[in-house]
Amino acid sequence: MRFEPTELSDAEVALQREVRAFLAEELPRGSFEPGLGMNGAKDPEFSRKLAARGWVGMALPRAYGGGDRSAVERFIVAEELLRWGAPLGHHWVADRQSGPMIHKFGTEAQQRRFLPAICRGELSFSIGMSEPQAGSDLAAVQTRATPVEGGWRVSGTKVWTSGAHYNDWFIVLCRTSDEDDRRDGLSQLLVDLRSDGIEVQPIPFLDGTSHFNQVFLDQVFVPSELLLGRAGAGWQQNASELAYERGGPERWLSTYLVVEQFLRERAGEELDARALELLGTATAQWWGLRQLSLSIARALDGGGAPAVESALVKEMGTRFEQDVLAAVQRLVELEPAAESESLFERLLVAAVLSAPSFTLRGGTNEILRSVAAKGLRT
Amino acid sequence: MSDPVLLQSVERVLEDVCTHESIQAAEQSGWAPEIWQALAGVGLPWLGLDERAGGTGGELGDALEVLRIAGRHALPAPLAETGLLAGWLASGAGLSLGSGPVAPAPVRPDEVLELEGGRLSGRASRVPWARAAERIAALARTGQGWAVALVDPSAATLEPRVNLAGEPRDGLRFDAVEVESWAPAAPGVDPAALQYRGALTRVMLMSGALERMSELTLEYTAERHQFGRPVGRFQAVQQYLVSAAQDAALVGMAGRVAAREAERGPARFEIGAAKLLANRAAHSATRAAHQAHGAMGMTREYPLHHWSRRLWAWRSEYGDELAWSGRLGREVAAAGADALYPTIAGGSAAGSPRDP
Ligand SMILES: Cc1cc2nc3c(=O)[nH]c(=O)nc-3n(C[C@H](O)[C@H](O)[C@H](O)COP(=O)(O)OP(=O)(O)OC[C@H]3O[C@@H](n4cnc5c(N)ncnc54)[C@H](O)[C@@H]3O)c2cc1C
Repeated sequence: MRFEPTELSDAEVALQREVRAFLAEELPRGSFEPGLGMNGAKDPEFSRKLAARGWVGMALPRAYGGGDRSAVERFIVAEELLRWGAPLGHHWVADRQSGPMIHKFGTEAQQRRFLPAICRGELSFSIGMSEPQAGSDLAAVQTRATPVEGGWRVSGTKVWTSGAHYNDWFIVLCRTSDEDDRRDGLSQLLVDLRSDGIEVQPIPFLDGTSHFNQVFLDQVFVPSELLLGRAGAGWQQNASELAYERGGPERWLSTYLVVEQFLRERAGEELDARALELLGTATAQWWGLRQLSLSIARALDGGGAPAVESALVKEMGTRFEQDVLAAVQRLVELEPAAESESLFERLLVAAVLSAPSFTLRGGTNEILRSVAAKGLRT
Repeated sequence: MSDPVLLQSVERVLEDVCTHESIQAAEQSGWAPEIWQALAGVGLPWLGLDERAGGTGGELGDALEVLRIAGRHALPAPLAETGLLAGWLASGAGLSLGSGPVAPAPVRPDEVLELEGGRLSGRASRVPWARAAERIAALARTGQGWAVALVDPSAATLEPRVNLAGEPRDGLRFDAVEVESWAPAAPGVDPAALQYRGALTRVMLMSGALERMSELTLEYTAERHQFGRPVGRFQAVQQYLVSAAQDAALVGMAGRVAAREAERGPARFEIGAAKLLANRAAHSATRAAHQAHGAMGMTREYPLHHWSRRLWAWRSEYGDELAWSGRLGREVAAAGADALYPTIAGGSAAGSPRDP
């Protein structure tokens, strides 16, 4: 385990300033309903504007419409969007993992086809990993792709697929052959969510919104040129996709705005000792977690593969997101209402109703602890 | 930032002198002159101090990294006290320290010493290793502001006390004691600055202790077998291993960032935040490490207590959770909602509070 302290260069600080100025101009406080971290709303228009600044797919090569920027630069943009509550839902998954996956494993033709549209903020992606019988144990996926003339026929059921009801594509982890080791014989396919044979059925989210779905694939034809990477290498590729999901600022900022807005709505009031204690403690924790997360981004830029570090940070960051929320709840004597005039109350409602998911999505904390513990032993 | 060759040689020196037995013996006797001699022989106590003031040069960052290593080894000697605290007070005032251990006073934020006509008065409690110190470096109030006075501890009334780790933390009472020398404190050196600097030394010591405690727990749970396998293979135990490693990583990072910023300026935000994180980690990491060790961790014959007791002791020195969370909280509240994220991301160097 290795975390090297790092800090932003002058150019990186300049980027941070630019992003802050853009958000203040484009989305002044009060002009939009902020979301909680990566649950931010889907707004293709906003994603396109962001992309016009070069801030979507920015770490992808210029040749494919990206900006050849670093993981740290992407970190800076992501953290500012997240803490602002910006509507990043349209491009978030494509920017964070699908784009980098296509770049890492995709053919030249796939890169030319998908990456420029991702970098323009146009194309949106979902994640097609989980199934009814395959949650933490992803090697148990039963969705099967059978080779046919010119491609594959894919059948099976994906579940908890966030945004499948409005996104364009998803990367489907499926079985392409049966091998002794369950982890062999898996592959990843790029699948158009509007293909014939796909049915997307919303699963009502706890807070009453539409967030995730069950996706039924019935003999969906996927042309062979949409196999991502190597047939049979799906397990390893998927593991590297998961690594993109971990260790970033979205793992400790989900409830940040609740606290910021608490502070805003109490401006001018004398805060009691408990409130000050919470503010001081949470600020120190955000600061510390951010230093760790930034160090992971810097390590990625240096060619490192900080998998254990990312698991450690995601596990403690998501626990902290829940802890800080509980602390705020203990602080205010209030039955929060979604219809309230107070944004703080509305954010509190959203946070309380989504908080249990923080330590589940992207790999549960129990699984992360196993990953981390194995890494610590070696 | 730090000189790797230097740090390696420090690691070797401390590994040599800080054995399980020597640490136990130092606690029994209250002072281990041979350990001090070993440190003094290579100039460690004065690292980071101006050579004109009898220091051995080097950067503040080096001296702080050395403290982290001292924490890893549960070093039972006033390393932080002599150079980074007393030495800083003295050299800033143009006074020379001498070659023995020196203890800074006061330690507690609510105690004030007074200097008048070259005579020192007042009480200072919890002074580290005062009983063994050749001198006390006192930050004292005068009619003209803060001054640093060097005084022979035998001229004071000493009440021996120890902290939870058995490290000497003595009470001193000065009744118009004549000082050996004194001079006005350097600009910016006042009780608040001393508290911050003291807190920074504790963060570094604690980060070393957390690191070593995490390693020790990994080692022990890999060796200890129950139900036919290493206990570290049980998921329930792995949870403790991960939690201790997280605390070590978080505080290690916080300490190193605070140390880096302290080379550039007062670094008040970073030091306060780091001490707060270290104090919190002292609870969670010791709890995890002890639980994973079972009864073995509860005996003085096994070394875990060198670190767990030090963490419990150091968490209350130079500001506990309540002190630092209250201070940070007041600053954050005063700066307002718009300044919150810029502070998290920018620390002490964050631009104007109105930065968008
Ligand atoms: C809001 C939200 C959005 C999501 N979006 C997507 C998406 O877009 N695409 C997608 O593919 N998936 C998505 N998921 C699914 C997510 O990845 C899974 O919830 C997660 O991987 C856990 O699987 P599970 O829910 O089936 O829990 P299970 O695996 O059934 O686990 C139940 C409990 O058992 C524990 N457990 C399981 N195995 C072990 C073990 N070996 N050791 C110790 N404990 C264990 C778990 O930690 C958990 O506490 C989403 C989930 C949520 C909550």
